Amino acid sequence: MTNSIAELEDADCIFVIGSNTTSSHPLVATRIFRAKEKGARLVVADPRQIQLALKADLYVRQNLGTDVALLNGIMNVILTRNWHAQSFIDERTEGFDEFRKVIAGYPPERVAELTGVAASDIIQIAEWYAKAKAASIVYCMGITQHTTGVDNVKSLANLAMLTGQIGRESTGVNPLRGQNNVQGACDMGGLPNVYPAYQAVTIPDIQKKFQNAWAATTLSDKVGLTIPGMLSGLAQGSVRALYVVGENPMVSDPDVSHVKKALQKAELLVVQDIFLTPTAELAHVVLPGTSFAEKDGTFSNTERRVQRVRKAIEPLGNARPDWEIIMEVSTRFGYPMHYGSPAEIMEEIARVTPSYGGITFDRLDGPGLCWPCPDKEHPGTKFLHKGRFSRGKGLFHAIDYKPPAEIVDAEYPFWLTTGRVHVHYHTGTMTRNSPSLHAEMPEGHLEIHPEDAHRLTVRQGDRVRVISRRGEITAKVSLTTRVDRGVVFMPFHFVECCANILTNPAHDPIAKIPEYKVCAVQIEKAA
Amino acid sequence: MSEKVRAKVKDLLDSGRIKGFLGLRQADGHLGPHLFTDGRELDALAVGDLKRPGDTRYPLNKQLLTLMRCDPDDSFGVLVRGCDERGLKTLITWNQVDPAKVVAVGIACPPELAAACECLKPYPDEFVDGGKVEGSTFASVATVDALDLHSRLTHWLHEFSKCVKCYGCRDICPMCFCKECSLEQEDLIHTGDLPPENPIFHLTRAVHMAGRCIDCGLCNEACPADIPLRTLYKKVAEIIAQEFDYRPGYVEPGEKPPLNILGEAPEH
Repeated sequence: MTNSIAELEDADCIFVIGSNTTSSHPLVATRIFRAKEKGARLVVADPRQIQLALKADLYVRQNLGTDVALLNGIMNVILTRNWHAQSFIDERTEGFDEFRKVIAGYPPERVAELTGVAASDIIQIAEWYAKAKAASIVYCMGITQHTTGVDNVKSLANLAMLTGQIGRESTGVNPLRGQNNVQGACDMGGLPNVYPAYQAVTIPDIQKKFQNAWAATTLSDKVGLTIPGMLSGLAQGSVRALYVVGENPMVSDPDVSHVKKALQKAELLVVQDIFLTPTAELAHVVLPGTSFAEKDGTFSNTERRVQRVRKAIEPLGNARPDWEIIMEVSTRFGYPMHYGSPAEIMEEIARVTPSYGGITFDRLDGPGLCWPCPDKEHPGTKFLHKGRFSRGKGLFHAIDYKPPAEIVDAEYPFWLTTGRVHVHYHTGTMTRNSPSLHAEMPEGHLEIHPEDAHRLTVRQGDRVRVISRRGEITAKVSLTTRVDRGVVFMPFHFVECCANILTNPAHDPIAKIPEYKVCAVQIEKAA
Repeated sequence: MSEKVRAKVKDLLDSGRIKGFLGLRQADGHLGPHLFTDGRELDALAVGDLKRPGDTRYPLNKQLLTLMRCDPDDSFGVLVRGCDERGLKTLITWNQVDPAKVVAVGIACPPELAAACECLKPYPDEFVDGGKVEGSTFASVATVDALDLHSRLTHWLHEFSKCVKCYGCRDICPMCFCKECSLEQEDLIHTGDLPPENPIFHLTRAVHMAGRCIDCGLCNEACPADIPLRTLYKKVAEIIAQEFDYRPGYVEPGEKPPLNILGEAPEH
């Protein structure tokens, strides 16, 4: 998040797009509710009429995968009606003229046809967002899990820059991160193209910096593989071994049948996890990791807050903390690692990671610190981009709408979108072990509009076959107007009713994130 | 403020009257519940910021129940304020706590906290620290009662519709000790949706609080959706007080709640 969670309370307008906030980030929803109580306007854009939509001053239901068109339409209105922040644009941004030319092609009437959102609603969102003293954008996977995921995010950045709704309290572009430490994993360089703090592997000075820090002879200057690249590499034989830590691609990756074939081709598959997941079941070697309660360290949350986690119990059975396992594997591979404790690792992080430069364990009692925190005296940073963007001037991107990779047709007439429910978390490896959560939702389901269900002659709880170009599954139906006619939704938590057998592995060209949010399916009543 | 509490606890521990004291501890920049078993570790004993509802608020009674179930033969001390003592008395009434095995160490709440809680009796019967502050009336209930019926219904439906069904209100409640919970009965409340069935989910809980809620307000503070549950249960408590002249926790342990008295067997 560019801004911190608590700041949402004081926003005058909150624009939530592609985030089922009450379900997936309930404590962020708390702040949104509080802002509402204080009089903020709440706008929700989501293909599903989620719980938060019921609380919104304006809810719009855009067609799947039409976010760029919707955002361009909003920006077209802002520019046409002169609601943009010209001085902010002049002083702090570049690329505006080219951007403006593209936006001119998205008058609200055209956008209404592309998105299914009424022109009057587009105008209303534009007015509330642009004219607010402080407006916040909140988004999540509904924005990113598309073949145009990067375009979607850049469009949100365009909107914030166009109106100067960034770099101030209670404004900003705020992605909600899912796993408790996914922010930390990215900060630490758990990505194929960067070292910690997003320092590119391709820059020679950075390469030298890490060679020196790690006393390594040569570090690669090549960008590594993304997950789709690893899987196709396995399938083609260019990747022969895979080491999976805390990830369950047999449930979480698109086109699971293909994933399984790829993983089965590995000459060596190592899985490090706290439970024997469907992915671990395919492994040659399983290394038992530790749960949150069994380890010391830090988690970095969605607002860049680095927080201490403290061991409550000793690791059970043969489980060991991840850092110890990695250290030992590395040592056996011929690169000895000798860290005495997580605190010692944190000291190295501070040495090589500018944004964590002032973060040490002794400063992390209580609420922790938000990065950037470059030195020992620095109090941490509440919101980013005050006065200046990281790259200097904020760059407007001129982005045209592109349709999703797979479009409905006569053979596959339903749009399928996938997501989460309030009871389960991700691939369910943890939550589906809980009896009370299991009781709340014991199996997966397909949300379908009652009129569509009627045409298929299925009733609440009946089973249907859901078929895509990748595979088919059986699921019970749940009739609800939360989804539109022609659109169906499935949570992906359930391995025995695995939505990702159906999803499309087509991915964003830059971020390589798959299009979990849109594919085409046919539905038949199950015998 | 905690000096007097500390001295009292030290006495209890040193004399062997209790095996451990369940209180609050300041550690690693956080205040949290802790079982003190050694008089020498009492430096870390704390009572938190008593000026407002916040970090002082832990369901120590609930943790006491767990402790006593694991270790039924020993005696324990526990930090109580007015509300905690009401909880303890009610737990004794419901046969959840053996009074011979518990020593309460009381503190009285300052005026700020008493007012914020709209507490009728912001002090335990006996306390080692703090001063007696007059109780207040339920102003929050009066505010909602002043609305006409339609507005009141709209108000509560709006509040309940923010619920994310986290069960935080139940899980933190010192009076929720049932092994099976009505809120989890599929026949009563449909599962799988957000918000949970409105208003059945919250009214079911409210009914179960009748004659039981001791008005500690922990539910209110735990709720991530800021639903004013305390106001709802205060209203339920007022109805029970009016109809049956009974307030849980304000009566002596052993006096049964009115909804638990079967009365005479019917004639056949």
